[in-house]
Amino acid sequence: MRRKHKNSDEEADINMTPMLDIVFIMLIFFIVTTSFVKEAGINVNRPTDAPPQTKEENDVVLIEITDTGQIRMGGRTVDIGAVQANVERARAEKPDATVVVAAGKDSNAGILVRVIDQARQAGALNVSIASDAT
Amino acid sequence: MTPMLDIVFIMLIFFIVTTSFVKEAGIEVNKPPAETAVPQTQGNVMIAITENGDIWMQKKVVELEQVRLLVEQAKAENPEGSVVILADENAPTGVVVQVMDGARLGGADRVALAASEGSGS
Repeated sequence: MRRKHKNSDEEADINMTPMLDIVFIMLIFFIVTTSFVKEAGINVNRPTDAPPQTKEENDVVLIEITDTGQIRMGGRTVDIGAVQANVERARAEKPDATVVVAAGKDSNAGILVRVIDQARQAGALNVSIASDAT
Repeated sequence: MTPMLDIVFIMLIFFIVTTSFVKEAGIEVNKPPAETAVPQTQGNVMIAITENGDIWMQKKVVELEQVRLLVEQAKAENPEGSVVILADENAPTGVVVQVMDGARLGGADRVALAASEGSGS
């Protein structure tokens, strides 16, 4: 049995065409499936891990949204534009307080997002959404 | 041929790296505006809630009970991903909160509410 030996000085000639086919198909696949979706949004705390945390009444800035879309803070009805000022004042009195938004089931999500946005503008970066106790 | 191959490989690597398989919700909603909205870099599970309270996930209407399971599956595929909830401006808050609960139960530790960047008046 004699082995065939290649001439070492012969130029190695690799057929590139199949590799190129595969590379192009992969390239086209990744170009097509790439989607540059960057959704803008606000992060919210939603502490649901049992047991539910019951916050002390005095270190919470509570903002209530009724089913009809009225915003109530500290027993008073406030305008949507005044939420930021009210949160700022409440946080000046109680700097450690967390902001909790309690929204009624039938209120609109748009109001909820606006209220959270206003609270974040007032400097409260961690805003929680309260669940209905009922 | 070598320069072309270089470019093709670089493009290939670029697209492999940037591809993130976003699970689209499959419906457009009116997002409420918020000034403090920040782009969510790793949001890859989209859950849309229409103004009627229908929940859209992965291009179909799903029940509230399915949200947890679907989020769990998505987390198994991509543990880094987070959940973005696209709630319509007129969507009922109760549904939004329940979907958020479902996502949390499904193991999503970061849940964001989508908003369009801009001044909310």
